Amino acid sequence: MGLDKENSNANERWEKAVSKATSRFPERKETFTTSSNIKVDRLYQPKEEVNEELGYPGEYPFTRGIQPTMYRSRFWTMRQYAGFGSAEETNKRFRYLLEQGQTGLSVAFDLPTQIGYDSDDVMSEGEVGKVGVAIDTLEDMEKLLDGIPLDKVSTSMTINAPASVLLCMYLAVGEKQGVPFEKITGTIQNDILKEYIARGTYIFPPKPSMRLITNIFEFCNQYVPKFNTISISGYHIREAGSNAVQEVAFTIANGMAYVDAAIESGLKVDDFAPRLAFFFNAHNNFFEEVAKFRAARRIWAKIMKEHYQAKNPKSWKLRFHTQTGGSTLTAQQPDNNIVRVAMQALSAVLGGTQSLHTNSRDEALSLPTEDSARIALRTQQIIAHESGVADTIDPLAGSYYVENLTDEIEKEVNNYLDRIKEIGGAVQAVEEGYMQREIQHNAYEIQKNIEKEEEIIVGLNKFALDEEIEPDLMKVDEALERNQIESLTSIKEKRNNEKVNEALAALRENAKDEHSNLLPFILDAVRVYASVGEICNILREEFGEYKGV
Amino acid sequence: MGKKIRVLVAKPGLDGHDRGALVISQALRDHGMEVIYTGLRQSPLQIAQAAIQEDVDVVGLSSLSGAHRTLFPKVVEELEQRGAGDIPVVGGGVIPSVDIPYLLEKGVKRIFTSGSSTDLLANYIKELVDPQTKPVMAPKKIAHIGIAVESIEQASTFYLDSLGLQLEGVEEVQSEGVKVAFIKIGETRFELLEPINEESPIRKFLDKKGEGLHHIALEVDDIHARLEQLKVNGVALINEEAKLGAHNSQIAFIHPNAASKVLYELCQYPEGSES
Repeated sequence: MGLDKENSNANERWEKAVSKATSRFPERKETFTTSSNIKVDRLYQPKEEVNEELGYPGEYPFTRGIQPTMYRSRFWTMRQYAGFGSAEETNKRFRYLLEQGQTGLSVAFDLPTQIGYDSDDVMSEGEVGKVGVAIDTLEDMEKLLDGIPLDKVSTSMTINAPASVLLCMYLAVGEKQGVPFEKITGTIQNDILKEYIARGTYIFPPKPSMRLITNIFEFCNQYVPKFNTISISGYHIREAGSNAVQEVAFTIANGMAYVDAAIESGLKVDDFAPRLAFFFNAHNNFFEEVAKFRAARRIWAKIMKEHYQAKNPKSWKLRFHTQTGGSTLTAQQPDNNIVRVAMQALSAVLGGTQSLHTNSRDEALSLPTEDSARIALRTQQIIAHESGVADTIDPLAGSYYVENLTDEIEKEVNNYLDRIKEIGGAVQAVEEGYMQREIQHNAYEIQKNIEKEEEIIVGLNKFALDEEIEPDLMKVDEALERNQIESLTSIKEKRNNEKVNEALAALRENAKDEHSNLLPFILDAVRVYASVGEICNILREEFGEYKGV
Repeated sequence: MGKKIRVLVAKPGLDGHDRGALVISQALRDHGMEVIYTGLRQSPLQIAQAAIQEDVDVVGLSSLSGAHRTLFPKVVEELEQRGAGDIPVVGGGVIPSVDIPYLLEKGVKRIFTSGSSTDLLANYIKELVDPQTKPVMAPKKIAHIGIAVESIEQASTFYLDSLGLQLEGVEEVQSEGVKVAFIKIGETRFELLEPINEESPIRKFLDKKGEGLHHIALEVDDIHARLEQLKVNGVALINEEAKLGAHNSQIAFIHPNAASKVLYELCQYPEGSES
């Protein structure tokens, strides 16, 4: 029968991909079995026909995952977002997490750094070192990464508007360690559109912001080929109150806007698309979340192949990081959050995530303590090493419910994409506040449902305790702001200010010329210890500032 | 009701998380208030100036970045320096409870932490702005359903034997001239009411209408405030003041003309008692 033949051809093709993959990354075990010694196969497929909407893992449209062997070879990267206070303190937490078995770093920056203000700026008052580490100059970055080999550890940086500046600082630290740009791996978030929509750390208006982003694409394609130049983020869109469909729809719409901008600036789609990465939320509705991840992969693959005509299969793959949903955590009975996080993390793993951050139980109250951060990491390790869910690929495939949800989400997302296209694309939709309104509407509905007890949050509107036990909380030292300002002042005295001024003047000249790539000029400026605030202020003067919708 | 309450919802500092601020703005609007939202990244000075310029009754601050200890007191300070120290400031967001005493000491009126209901906030603001209009919480549940009977002994067989419910006890309430049997069902009760003298309102009810549903009792938090509020709203009352009911409760009846001929009783149990 023709069908059988087709299937066996497809099967052979996939088996070839598997042997190629396993020659590079052998599977974790020779054979996988259950507790009763039942053999666990790499992949389970329907007996009759393989639905081409599902395909094989590592093959278009990637519904079942982006690699042919998935977690049989390597688990997802366990990447806990951390950063607080000074660079030295954060460095200590990083080393602690690496010792505990974490496999990648993820840097949280404080708000002044994220919005391009130095610690001594009047706007920074009260915020220095609060939600992340304060970085003013290259010296802070050197302290942050002290003793961490940048050719071995990949680092994800949650930085958007000043992403180019922090990327250059990271590269400059690599230079000092003797690690060439080609060997540097990691990710910058660099997703400005969702800042306008949901997260709020924008600086410049959309147009020059999109220019900086395509400058990074171009520079990295040439010099830093292993670096993920953007992490297109639905996480914050979900946190701001969207539902699962809106999360995927708005993220993919934003992704298309970046692709459009890069193509318009003269890049070829296959030159930058393989370095695009995504970032999603893992929320409470378990099966919907699993289906969401699978649907997102399929939608993106179709868009890249069919709409943008990308030829390189790497351009079709939606690779993503996941973080469990911060807004699902309750300040009440914080230990309950451990359970929420475990289930959310499981949904991300069953959805085929490439890396994962699990939140700490106390994050609705403050930054996590070391104890809480360890439990969060242990949660991932328990899923990986004890549950067996990683022993076969995409184990929920073929579930009537999950496949139906996957199809439905794809359909609903496409409806949104059509609407955004009618508006004129994601940039236009953001400027008109369309996505913001959709999200806000949904957020208010959620709140009303919770208050009417149509949605139950355990420990909050049901099963509440009369008296809450107050856990130990992490506190950021109040003296930190003063110390950070003092150290910045001393760097500004120590450095060669003539060189700084020259570098900043060259940056300004080139900012005026919209065809100039600004990355080399930013790199020159950070090398001579120009600060994040100084560089961003030059760009503020040239580009103007975004003021919100 | 006087003029609308005006609220300034503000995001001090660099924090970009405005889901809470936006949800609260919408909720307060639904409670009939006028809400001005500042948008992101406002300095304490800008917030104080906006509060004065917009002539608001209250300022609500939201911060999730941990900068509340610096920024919330600064807003209070800036208001005071401009002679507007009488505008109350409330706050919310990710605020560890250990910080709350410090913020209150610095002049913030109240902190609403994560998970607070928007109704609670709205009622608090109404009370803060105009202490006369003390908000009245909606009744919590049906305390009991009263059924008038000629004889508890005869009537209770249906409830106890046929339905299999449990009798909790029998009590005489002299003020009403009734003997009451309490039969628990779920979180509420049936009360079988048997007259013990000729003056009993239940005797009069039985003579006029025969046995049957007599009244529905609603449990309330503050019966005095509720009665005041009903009077203001022009609801006809049988009892203008609360009186003593069974189980040391305070009770009052609403006139059936106010509620499609259903007789309602309001009922407040003493604090700490099982209701």
